[in-house]
Amino acid sequence: MSPPRTFRTTTPLADKMRRPGGRRVSSALAAAGAALATHRVEAMAQARKTLAQLESMTLCRDEDHARLVYERAAALVDLIGFFQTGPLFDVAYSLCEVSDRMRTSGVWHWPAVEVHLQALALILSDDCRRTTASDELLAGLRAVADRIPNLPRALS
Amino acid sequence: MSCAVEPDLRINLERSTLLLVDDNPQALNILGSIVQGFGVREQIKCESALEAVEVIKRQPVDLVLIDCAMPEMNGFDFVRWLRRDGPTHANCTPVIMLTGHAAQSSVQESRDSGASYIIVKPLTPMVLLQRIVWLSRDEREFVVSDKYVGPDRRVRNFGPPLGVAGRRRGDLSTHIGEASQGNMDQSEIDMMMKPMRVSL
Repeated sequence: MSPPRTFRTTTPLADKMRRPGGRRVSSALAAAGAALATHRVEAMAQARKTLAQLESMTLCRDEDHARLVYERAAALVDLIGFFQTGPLFDVAYSLCEVSDRMRTSGVWHWPAVEVHLQALALILSDDCRRTTASDELLAGLRAVADRIPNLPRALS
Repeated sequence: MSCAVEPDLRINLERSTLLLVDDNPQALNILGSIVQGFGVREQIKCESALEAVEVIKRQPVDLVLIDCAMPEMNGFDFVRWLRRDGPTHANCTPVIMLTGHAAQSSVQESRDSGASYIIVKPLTPMVLLQRIVWLSRDEREFVVSDKYVGPDRRVRNFGPPLGVAGRRRGDLSTHIGEASQGNMDQSEIDMMMKPMRVSL
């Protein structure tokens, strides 16, 4: 086992960023924000498609589809995570947490997935606004998530 | 290292080449738009880490933004390859990893893979730009060891206590030891802090 070696290095990125020119941070952020906004409609349309895919999985309720739930939920979080979608992101993230925990523990409970999908649909229909109703939905989902480790080891 | 990025600070990314890697084409385009807003003129987009490996072998890039979860070769494996087996000119290239849903284990895996930073979504242009600015001011040493290659994961360089294996020459903490004299009284301390003219 060789001893660790440490050294200081200057990256070309740092050198190039130090050169004169460029733009102010405020301008860069404004331009990036405007560019990002042009993708929002398309991303929300994709979010609806993903939600429809997830809903169709709950109709089959088999193990193959159970494995796919996390992947689709993670894809949803990946995409909407570029935008300020408030409760929509929180619910999608909660679905990731719940489905990840269920798939790794071998415990699967479809109603926990369904209640998340219903919440996603409601929030999408309300244009992702954070309201008292959405806060109550999230509180309910947290309660669902807290119960997951205590479920019996069987597919519901 | 400052936590916030000053709005009036000038950043120059016009001459930098960024490599963007994400298996989701839509996310890749969104990321491309954000960095274009930052002023990046040259960006290379790859829909797989394997494709990114070929790019790195062909040409140098200044910064890599890569998604963690990808089929075949994920972001962690890519960074480990870059740091250990990539071309010499690319070993120290800064890498920012992006992740949507991150279990604690994946944050640990990212740190151990040698990534410069990991950003957990929701991602805002402000957070991404802040990390890029941090990279430009990054004073962390680069570590090469049997188990890890990448930027120093210890943000505060206090290091382990004296006499414990793993200390480095630059570590800040020192052993103070037992007091060799009695405590000074307040008048002695006052004299040290505020000396007064004495007429003889």
